[in-house]
Amino acid sequence: MSAAQHQALVLSSVSFAAFVFYLCFLLPSRRTKFSVFAACNLFFVALMFGAVALLDLSGGRAEIMVAVMTELPVVLIIAWVCLALAGGLSAQLPAEPVARRPWLRTILGSAPIVLLLSVGFATVVGLVWPSPALRVFAPAPPQFFVLKGLIMAPEVIYSGFAAMLFVMAGQATGLKRRFYFKNLAFSVGMVCIALLALESMVFAGLRVWLSGEGRRAILETLNTLEACLAISCILGFTAGLSLRYTPAVATTLLHRLQTGWLRTQEQFESLEWQALSSGAADRLTHASDAVVEACRIKGLSESDTQKALATIRLVAVMRDPSSETQHITPDAARKLYELQEEILCDDVLASKISWAAGWRSRAHEPQTVKSAPLHDALKAALELVDNCGESEGVRTPPLWYYIAAVSAADAKMIDPTQLSMQLRDGAEYRAAVEAYDAAKRTLRMLKDHD
Amino acid sequence: MNVDAPKRDLKGPFLNKLTGFWGPLRNLSAARSRVNGSRSLLTAAEFQEELAILGLSGRRFEPEDYSDALGEYLDISITVHVIPDSWYPELSRLLALSGRLGELRYSEQLNMAAIFVPGSLPPLVLTLTILHELGHLAAGDLLIESDEQSEEDQHAEQTIFETLPLKKEKKLARGYPFARESLREREANLRASYALFAGCLGDDSPYAHGMYDVL
Repeated sequence: MSAAQHQALVLSSVSFAAFVFYLCFLLPSRRTKFSVFAACNLFFVALMFGAVALLDLSGGRAEIMVAVMTELPVVLIIAWVCLALAGGLSAQLPAEPVARRPWLRTILGSAPIVLLLSVGFATVVGLVWPSPALRVFAPAPPQFFVLKGLIMAPEVIYSGFAAMLFVMAGQATGLKRRFYFKNLAFSVGMVCIALLALESMVFAGLRVWLSGEGRRAILETLNTLEACLAISCILGFTAGLSLRYTPAVATTLLHRLQTGWLRTQEQFESLEWQALSSGAADRLTHASDAVVEACRIKGLSESDTQKALATIRLVAVMRDPSSETQHITPDAARKLYELQEEILCDDVLASKISWAAGWRSRAHEPQTVKSAPLHDALKAALELVDNCGESEGVRTPPLWYYIAAVSAADAKMIDPTQLSMQLRDGAEYRAAVEAYDAAKRTLRMLKDHD
Repeated sequence: MNVDAPKRDLKGPFLNKLTGFWGPLRNLSAARSRVNGSRSLLTAAEFQEELAILGLSGRRFEPEDYSDALGEYLDISITVHVIPDSWYPELSRLLALSGRLGELRYSEQLNMAAIFVPGSLPPLVLTLTILHELGHLAAGDLLIESDEQSEEDQHAEQTIFETLPLKKEKKLARGYPFARESLREREANLRASYALFAGCLGDDSPYAHGMYDVL
């Protein structure tokens, strides 16, 4: 077996082992377009080098064609990676550093054309001036260096560029460690490809211009280095593809939240605001003041006061006969409540989705679906409107709920005689009635004083 | 939204002639842009690219951060005025009666934009209204020529819509603004909802995730 065949056998074995590893361990668990493409590429490389090792393909233009064919998988890998970084593959986003600098997209997008053109030119050069491309240690004419340089120079540039972009993507602030290591692994893989290409150019140069006793030893050392770099490259990509991360929120769920819950809540709240601001539900003004005062008398928290207020607002709007409030119906409220419940069933989602309580008010805690007064108020208002406080199960409502119920009954938003016995029997209800009466007296005194 | 565009006096004889020569050329370019100028509504993935340009991709952010980053990118001053009802009680009523939740004013001369929203808006609606108006700035909706509004009916099932060229490229979006106002409003709503979720989720967003895991 010649030295060339021996080297081809080593590379074929490495590629085949990597292909088997991909097929058995990586592809079943992570089938991305790139992993399928890489597996096919590895199989092709193994076949090509295997053919070179087993068959004597030396001599003339056949040797050039085989040499070019063995370079093709690497060229395709670099082109694929560059396109992936540029977001050029279907339905894929560019890497973060590329998205920030649109000019990078143009450079990376040119990779497939430039790389394939350079392979084409190299093939022409090789076919016009044949050289011993597969005989590893044989002296070669200067045209061989031109052939290698035409393929390897763009490979060095694009793979080096891609390696740098992977490092930049991994270094983004606040990024999860897994992404950092993943991008680092891909960067190592691309650096190895760049070094392989560089080594290949140096090797070609030495075959052309180096002579003397040490020549063989130097070329053998470079051959060993090439095998090591090939193994490191495959390991780097394997590590990168093995590091998986599943985002906490899936795309489909996010889309459902956008078109479902968010749109419904925004429409509901904005219509309610428009109805109240344009003067509908006039009965509300006095009731709101009394509710706030009653909550103050009973020493309720700001959060509970807001819930009582939101409840009375909702009851007022749902019970208002004017056209401005026609869209705020118990059905719409029930739909929104159910959508909110769906979010609250998912602890991760419920804790992550939040919004500011006001503009540039970082002092206040952001609101969540759970903490915003609307959620509890919707349930309370629906209970009061649907069955006048007949709550399901044995739940004892909080005091703010009683105050809202008393206020709604007092303002004739709901029928006082229809308030459920369950609600009216408790001590909490009597306390709420007392507080509400006291609040009304206080407000009347203040008005008389003015 | 309102635009205070600088008034240019083009009525001088020389400029009139120049405008006469320029007209057909301008119409030609406009016609070409009408042929090619169409696109679909903004997707969440495209919005993520806009966030990357602003340096907010993969980060948790508040509407204030988005406003600051957008202002810096567009090189304009953006101020948000949340007007308490006690200061100007009629504002909420007037806006509510007109079916609007906020107001965006833009002055090309002063290089500034101001957003006015009533303080009585519920917090979620307030946040989305501010993000909606910022979305108009990001899309460059305020820079379109007012005489080129399209009123053509377009079918509801259509996914590609006509766009308009801009006076100058002071926008964040890759595509041009839509010719129809209803579509511009719809896209501003989309931008607002994308921004809200992207700001909440940070690098937990599946779109942000896609930018750090390209292979």
